Amino acid sequence: MSRQTDTEPAGTPPEELTRSITGRLLFFYVLGDVLGSGVYVLIGLVAGAVGGAFWIAFAAGVTLATITGLAYAELATKFPQAAGASLYVHKAFRNPVLTFLITICSLSAVFAASGSLATGFARYFGSIFDLVPALLVTLVFVVLLTLVNFIGITESVVVNMIMTFIEISGLVLVMVIGIIVVVRGDADFSVLTSFTAEGNPIFAIVAGVALAFFAMTGFENAANVAEETINPSKTFPRALIGGMAAAGLIYVLVAMSAALVVPVGTLAGADAALLEVVRADVLPGSVEVMLKVFAVIAMIAITNTTLVSIVTQSRILYGMGREDVVPAVFSKIHPTRRSPYVALVFSTLVVASLLIIGEVLSNVDPDLDIVGRLATVTVVFLLFIYALVIVSALKLRGEGETEDSYRANTALLYLGVLGNIVLLGYVVIDDPASLYWVAGLLALGVALYLVKRAAGGRSSKGIATGGEA
Amino acid sequence: MHVMVATDGSKQSLAAAQQFMSFADVAKVEQVSVVAVISPLATVPFANELGGDRPDDPTRLSFREEANAAAGVVAAEFEGWGVPVVHRRILSGSPAAQIVKAAAEHRADLIVVASGSGGLSETILLGATAQRVQHSAPCPVLVTRPKR
Repeated sequence: MSRQTDTEPAGTPPEELTRSITGRLLFFYVLGDVLGSGVYVLIGLVAGAVGGAFWIAFAAGVTLATITGLAYAELATKFPQAAGASLYVHKAFRNPVLTFLITICSLSAVFAASGSLATGFARYFGSIFDLVPALLVTLVFVVLLTLVNFIGITESVVVNMIMTFIEISGLVLVMVIGIIVVVRGDADFSVLTSFTAEGNPIFAIVAGVALAFFAMTGFENAANVAEETINPSKTFPRALIGGMAAAGLIYVLVAMSAALVVPVGTLAGADAALLEVVRADVLPGSVEVMLKVFAVIAMIAITNTTLVSIVTQSRILYGMGREDVVPAVFSKIHPTRRSPYVALVFSTLVVASLLIIGEVLSNVDPDLDIVGRLATVTVVFLLFIYALVIVSALKLRGEGETEDSYRANTALLYLGVLGNIVLLGYVVIDDPASLYWVAGLLALGVALYLVKRAAGGRSSKGIATGGEA
Repeated sequence: MHVMVATDGSKQSLAAAQQFMSFADVAKVEQVSVVAVISPLATVPFANELGGDRPDDPTRLSFREEANAAAGVVAAEFEGWGVPVVHRRILSGSPAAQIVKAAAEHRADLIVVASGSGGLSETILLGATAQRVQHSAPCPVLVTRPKR
């Protein structure tokens, strides 16, 4: 009974098109992605790197990330497809090797990000239940989130919204504590301009910016939904930049508040730095209860971002499998759940091994800080990708533009490239050992590629697609 | 009558369309709308396993084009069967809600959907798309299941 006909002319557009992502939805999507990731995990590290003035590092990191966001907004409105950075770089350079490299970098960056977020989660979890080993918590956490992705809960707009509101409420709580301290007159504003880290304050700031920049990652996930955004050339830039600016403002205020309430040394030494702000006992009511409530909020915030990063991993792998860059098994879709289950299982295994290797290493050398390490590794990849995306935006000027396409300020874009390269240089010089981790993750990608070639499948196009880190 | 056929890009959805054609009277079917729904926030917003007209440029992974290609494959079946008017509608959002909405908007007389072999987890946690559609559809629903 199957009759195959081709009466439908090739490429006929369908008669009806609807898009479902509104500007407001996209704004909260960006805000939720950006907010959860860094501040709960990294604020202590940034404070340690800079000193009381670490809010300046947050401000600079946020600004640089937002400039990169401008380039993303311009490209996503010109080419509203799901592929993100690898698409843009491919369009600009037409170099298959470079495109493949970018895809592998994106993939590695999300692997590293998931790992460091899971560790951050375990720290807040440990503040409530201190009997469970942290490694077990991180592994169970990652496996559970993979299951959630398999079932498909990430599709729920409502769940996304609720999580974003919870994230914001946690940070508002920190700001309220800061305001109370200021109103009481207990605040020592000189903290806000003090650099306690030894050496040149400029270097301290650069170090802090690199970490704060990590706290802003997540915005590039918005490029994935560009295709489904209503009136993208207007809505998309507004929502993306608006979301990032809002997140950036919240970060700077949270950083100031934390610096005013808690001594910087305490922040830098804390496992879960924002808990120290709550522990300062400023709010009425029991500190114990507040600590628990806040730890739960922090865990939800981290969960939201980790969910998105797991979606991103498996989507990139799906895209690569689809295009025969990696074994086609990665593009296998579960018959009823419609999730790329092979890609999901594989990325869970990678993140789990990262975490286990990290644990083993820290037993060998207790000084090894895995969160910091994974964060730097992610930053190396991201800075490379971001710089290249901005260059692509500049290179693609004059292509695919329409009357109403969004055009980012050119001078700002040059500034963004420069900023990204300076940071990249700093991170590599400051922490050459992170290059080993970078090499390890890249080797995994190359191995995937070689396995595919050795398996002798269709001749690989050598070009990667997929979602975006 | 106006028949609305949903596809999620799976082979099962194509089989559902074919099953409908195997017993329905083509003379009574005035128009068919093939509906494909993209879920933008899902891990894979639309997975097309039906092939069809896909772009060659591998960096252009476009879920919208995938949905359009899959809908095209199903639409071609109906055109080959002899249905005078075949529409393709690419929607975006939650699949069940969009299918029901489109059926109401276009006054469909029948919705054809495939149901996977829904396990306990999805029935409790989310409910299969087919289940949700038949729960709130404005017209009769034909749910086809894979043969065991």
